[in-house]
Amino acid sequence: MLVLGSRFDAYNQAQLAVVLILFIGVLSVTILTGISGQLSLGQGALMAVGGYSTALLIINHKLSLWVAIPLSIISAGIAGLLLGVAAARLSGPYLAGTTLVIALAIPTLANRFMSIFKGDEGLPVDVGYPPAWFSNIFGEPSYEKWQIYVALPFAALALFFASNILLSRSGRMWRAIRDNELAASLNGVNYSRQKIYVFIVSASFAGLSGALYGLRGLVGPSVYPVSLSLTLLTAAVLGGIRSISGAFIGTVIVVYLPDWIEKVLGNFELSEQVSNFLPSLISSLLLILTVVINPAGVAGTRLHKHK
Amino acid sequence: MNTFLAALFSGTSRGAIFALVALGLVIVWRGAGIVNFAQMGQAMFSTYIASTLITNGSNYWVGFFVALFAGAAMGALLDILVMRPLSNKKKTELLSSESMRAAVPVIASLGILGALQALAGILWAAEERGFPAPAKQEGLSVGGNVMPFTSFDIFVISVVALTLIITTLFFKKTSVGLAMRATALNQEVAKLSGIRTNRTRTLSWAISGAASSLAGLLITPTSNLSPNTLDLVLIVGFTAAVVGGLDSPAGAVLGGFILGMVISFVTFYDTPEDVFLSILAVLLLVLIIRPRGILGSKDVRRV
Repeated sequence: MLVLGSRFDAYNQAQLAVVLILFIGVLSVTILTGISGQLSLGQGALMAVGGYSTALLIINHKLSLWVAIPLSIISAGIAGLLLGVAAARLSGPYLAGTTLVIALAIPTLANRFMSIFKGDEGLPVDVGYPPAWFSNIFGEPSYEKWQIYVALPFAALALFFASNILLSRSGRMWRAIRDNELAASLNGVNYSRQKIYVFIVSASFAGLSGALYGLRGLVGPSVYPVSLSLTLLTAAVLGGIRSISGAFIGTVIVVYLPDWIEKVLGNFELSEQVSNFLPSLISSLLLILTVVINPAGVAGTRLHKHK
Repeated sequence: MNTFLAALFSGTSRGAIFALVALGLVIVWRGAGIVNFAQMGQAMFSTYIASTLITNGSNYWVGFFVALFAGAAMGALLDILVMRPLSNKKKTELLSSESMRAAVPVIASLGILGALQALAGILWAAEERGFPAPAKQEGLSVGGNVMPFTSFDIFVISVVALTLIITTLFFKKTSVGLAMRATALNQEVAKLSGIRTNRTRTLSWAISGAASSLAGLLITPTSNLSPNTLDLVLIVGFTAAVVGGLDSPAGAVLGGFILGMVISFVTFYDTPEDVFLSILAVLLLVLIIRPRGILGSKDVRRV
């Protein structure tokens, strides 16, 4: 990936960084919805928690991002704990609706507590510059390339954790809750507690993703709109809601779709109005088609029919 | 005192519209077991159709009824094209568990919402445009005093009251309404007694589509029309439906008026910025104290 990164121009390097960053966010949806069956539309709000924590720690406490990001993961995890305590009582559309209300309500806090969060203006942060030892060994990277270098270890760590947790005892319990709550509890799974755990884990992933997402330049309400939650969900479903490779495929599709459309339709004289909305029209239609025709997604073709 | 009256009237008129939105959600929930998150997307789309007709010189009422019809047709089409095929896929592994059966239609409806909003953006530009009201929007003057409500508020309240009466009569007095109530109560038994449950399902989508389009027509004169304007209305309508009881039409109406009052009083006495947080607070309060809602029945569905 780093080899790829070095061949691309600045724009594509930035896009690659976005893929790595959003991949972590999509994994949070895969774990929560795909593995444990809890549908949350508030992942964008949890990303905002991670982003604001990082920005405040860096700006007010002058911490290095390598310290600020792990602390932000913890703060997003705490937000996930609160959400999980509320969500353990809810299921299906109640959970989806409640988390959607949360996703809309949280960004308004930025205007409510103007002095801390600086309202719509937001908090400017960036990934800064690489330390001297790094430049001495690898050469001076461009700003975009440094974004990739920062995102890559975190994405790898997230991938490692996600794939291990799915194979662990917890992963099996979460799948059991998804498939049948009653059967799971008869087999000794405390499903309320496990639901809270899965919310904490998923929120930590979302917080990490949100922290890195904000470090591209700005942390503000416009960076974490409600549509961000829907983008993560779209990516997870298109790729395959139950698989980690699906999460990556879906992220690539969602991030690069506007570029692909522009490449295909570049010869036609499209008005700005059409080219602005076409990507979201196509990804929404893909989402509907995936759900109706192939709910297992691109990566999940192995799902078989029940007898 | 005047602020209080103004808040009261604004709350009643807004609450009437939220009642319609919540009713639309409840009808589809009872008929199909789905919370339709695309509902206000459909309403936005049909309001744009009315707006286009009216700007091109049609009478307000032509646009009004075309929009209601378009809303109903869109609701029926969505059920036939998306939701029915989806419910026929229940045998696949992904949809075999209860939690995913609840989650997947929600995902589908979010896809529909996104598609409708993007399509409206392409067709009618993204910038806001106004939508006309059929009645004056200045405060009425009674005996020289300007009252805190407008003739449009009175129009809204009477249209909604009329709609609620017609809907109640439809569900209580007609055989189709009876068939729909039977399907909501127990789909298998309804099927066995000769009701074509597929048709009643589609009909509930159509009625819900018309009701929410009416809500769109009534709320846009005071807000403005853009692909995203009705998102907040959906959130309020959902909260209203949960407050009243997701399976109770009367509860939806009650919930609508409660939410209308809460939002209106927060706007008048506090700041509009706190509206979202107050909605969230009401929603969480109800879910903690009485998850089935004020008028919801006890064990139709575990929350």
